[in-house]
Amino acid sequence: MATPSDSEAGPNPKPVEELETESATNDEHQGEDEDEIEEEEEEEGDDEEAEEDETPAAQRENINRLFRRLSGGPVRLRVQDIIIRGNTKTKDALIEAEVLDAFRSACSMQELIQAAGLANTRLRQLDIFDSVSITLDSGPSELPGTANVVIDVVEARNPLTGEFGAYSKPEARSWSLEGSLKLKNLFGYGDIWDASGAYGFGQTSEISAGVSLPRFKAISTPLMTRVSLLSQDWLKFSSYKERLLGLSVGLISTGNHDLAYNLTWRNLSDPSHMSSKTIRRQLGHSLLSSLKYTYRIDHRDSNLRPTRGYAFLSTSQFGGLGPDSRILRFIRQEFDVRGAFPLGFYNAAVNFGVAAGAIMPWGRGFMDSTSPLPERFYMGGHSSPICSLGGPTSLLGFKLRGVGPTDERRAILTKHGEDEATTPGRIASPGGDAIGGNLAVTAFADLSFDLPLKLFRESGVHGHMFLNTGNVVDLTPAEFKNFSFRGFLETFRSSAGFGIIFPTRFFRMEINYCYILKQLQHDHGKTGIQFSFSTP
Amino acid sequence: MEMADEREEEAKPEVVLVARKGGFGLPTACPVCLPVYCHLRFANVDFKLEFDRANPDSDHIPYVEYGDYVTFNNEKGGVIECLNEDNVVKLDSQLPKDCFPDWASTKVMISTWLAEAVQYELWVTCDNTIADDIYFSDLPWPIGKILHWKQTQAVKQLHGITKLNAAEKEEEIYRKANIAYEALSMKLGSQVFFFEGRPTSVDSLFLGHAVFVLHVLPETSVLRSSLSKHANLLRFVQDCKIRLLEDSYSSATGPAFSSDASSSSIPRRKGSKQNAKTKPKEKRERTEEEKAFRRRAKYFIAAQVVSIVIYLSILGGMGDSGLEDGDEDGLTYEE
Repeated sequence: MATPSDSEAGPNPKPVEELETESATNDEHQGEDEDEIEEEEEEEGDDEEAEEDETPAAQRENINRLFRRLSGGPVRLRVQDIIIRGNTKTKDALIEAEVLDAFRSACSMQELIQAAGLANTRLRQLDIFDSVSITLDSGPSELPGTANVVIDVVEARNPLTGEFGAYSKPEARSWSLEGSLKLKNLFGYGDIWDASGAYGFGQTSEISAGVSLPRFKAISTPLMTRVSLLSQDWLKFSSYKERLLGLSVGLISTGNHDLAYNLTWRNLSDPSHMSSKTIRRQLGHSLLSSLKYTYRIDHRDSNLRPTRGYAFLSTSQFGGLGPDSRILRFIRQEFDVRGAFPLGFYNAAVNFGVAAGAIMPWGRGFMDSTSPLPERFYMGGHSSPICSLGGPTSLLGFKLRGVGPTDERRAILTKHGEDEATTPGRIASPGGDAIGGNLAVTAFADLSFDLPLKLFRESGVHGHMFLNTGNVVDLTPAEFKNFSFRGFLETFRSSAGFGIIFPTRFFRMEINYCYILKQLQHDHGKTGIQFSFSTP
Repeated sequence: MEMADEREEEAKPEVVLVARKGGFGLPTACPVCLPVYCHLRFANVDFKLEFDRANPDSDHIPYVEYGDYVTFNNEKGGVIECLNEDNVVKLDSQLPKDCFPDWASTKVMISTWLAEAVQYELWVTCDNTIADDIYFSDLPWPIGKILHWKQTQAVKQLHGITKLNAAEKEEEIYRKANIAYEALSMKLGSQVFFFEGRPTSVDSLFLGHAVFVLHVLPETSVLRSSLSKHANLLRFVQDCKIRLLEDSYSSATGPAFSSDASSSSIPRRKGSKQNAKTKPKEKRERTEEEKAFRRRAKYFIAAQVVSIVIYLSILGGMGDSGLEDGDEDGLTYEE
């Protein structure tokens, strides 16, 4: 698909030789004259066809002349006009906006070919065309040194598509089974409408609908809007259920930067009537209006088994946007740093990472107020810290929400049979609710290596040894002055272990033996064999 | 002796009443929370009043916390019933048995006819500002508006009120309320309290209802004018209000806790005689054998899943875990 970088060029841009890397799908291009240089890039499912307008020997001679010309030095050429064909629904302005920047800066044949490749990629990424073909044609004869760019698109035959799979989504907080329907390019602006339903194994269910636009007026970055209805059951861990009705708008979404606005109506309820005092005080309705900025760089060579590189994530969330003082007000910050370097034997590599996060309320009386329960930090669960940059949440060996501050659940009286008149009532142990923390830090080190069996090596199955540590505390603004760094370090929990990793197409499965090195009284860590499923 | 009493005082858990916020000159302006407040005050329980501002549509409020124990309004007949059964408050326990039928029917009349009339006036006939002030003023505006509308529809549905029968329903509601006031006025007569010259839960329920009608509902309220026709009921409200509500509203606590065990008690963790309770949704205790069986079943299923995954991964080869290029054509795409 790429413009061949080792092509030879002739001395004269006219006639321009025909250059093929892949065949065109459009029969209109068959039989075109030898003045055209054609660069074909196809979508999946298209058939290849060879164009034979000249004798093979003449064609080869033309191509060789062109390669000699191009390799001899830059061939001065600029774009005179962009011609778009095949778009019955899609607006010309959308296609032009996607490709204009690339072609505007090209001033030689080589740059033009590169720009054509870039433009082709951008148009394919709109996900609204079945095929895209870019042809470079000679410009008007009265304007030497110019070329016309002809863009042939085939719009999606079936704009309605469906998908089903396993995904990891921030809203679900875990991985989930999801089905979705997509309607592409309804209004010709590259708009993609989708409706999806998801069910996660964290007792999560979600229905959502959204629309994405590749650009909107002066905003050249993709815009996404989504309305979602989410229900999450935390009764087992924290004695509350969460229902969200939210609107999220992705304002900026580039490779590294992501800025999104979120307006969510949230309701926390406790149908079991067993919640602790801390949870009880936070039950009810609330409105979240927040701006979330994420900066991410990931230069690791793999998400499933990184062996070299580094990654960095910073997530900043500001809640309380709006004139209403009753909206939830908080500031939340997360950092996550990862690194990997190879050891040079058995394909071994060391991965390490540190993550930290803090949240605090703001506004009048913030010293005495608490941060919202769902936005606090919870630690534990069997997701691998290697795959995704998820902040200070993962601590192998501990159950979901199994680390951190807790509060006693509602006490109950149990019945004594015949002796109830004389025997004192017994208090049944109610257990505790995980209430999360305002400050969390995790760190891990992982050594991965190939297993001796060739069968395992070929299928990517490998072993690893790991060491995890982490701590999460409830540090309110009023208690900040009394914070003891030494005390914080002394209460770090840790675990170590080893295991086997099975990477598949959809997820990464780990079978680990975890040994709990240190845990506190109310933690839920367990030494033994555990399974972990992660999606990259 | 004094030191022992002090230690005993310190050991007693704090009683907290969580109700909806105050207003209109009342410690709590919610017609459901007021009777519970009055009940605790009648029992001379020293309690702390806290407000819940985020659950306007939930029926678990008010609730009473005493230590780690909690009684919710939507459990076992309500907070007052639970307080009676848990022996936190024993206002009703010493009623003679011959009063019981009269007492029970009076209580039901107040809890149903008068409570429905208040609900009708608050959510259907009065303007929105009263309900907004009591329930929704601490919620963001969009949420408050939507919940208010939902609650209004719920009340109409509960009473079976439609556009066609609205007038008939209103007449029926007010007729029952008038009958209730008449009956209560005849029952009270010139007494200080309704039964046996001492406060019971009937007094708490009626006082909470009457205070709300007289202080919160507007002067044009039909209920208010009906209640005002009965002078002895107004006298009862006035006397109790002076004694219970006006003193406590400024301090948010009641009189000193009485150590008289016959009128009230706080359940302790050890050494107390309690009526046994079972948790509404208590799990069945599993035997050791069942636990072992479940554990083995989980391991068996996990082993099956693992073996399938191993089989697929070895036969299928490594997944897309190799190098992931940014673009297949080798170009770096940056914006």
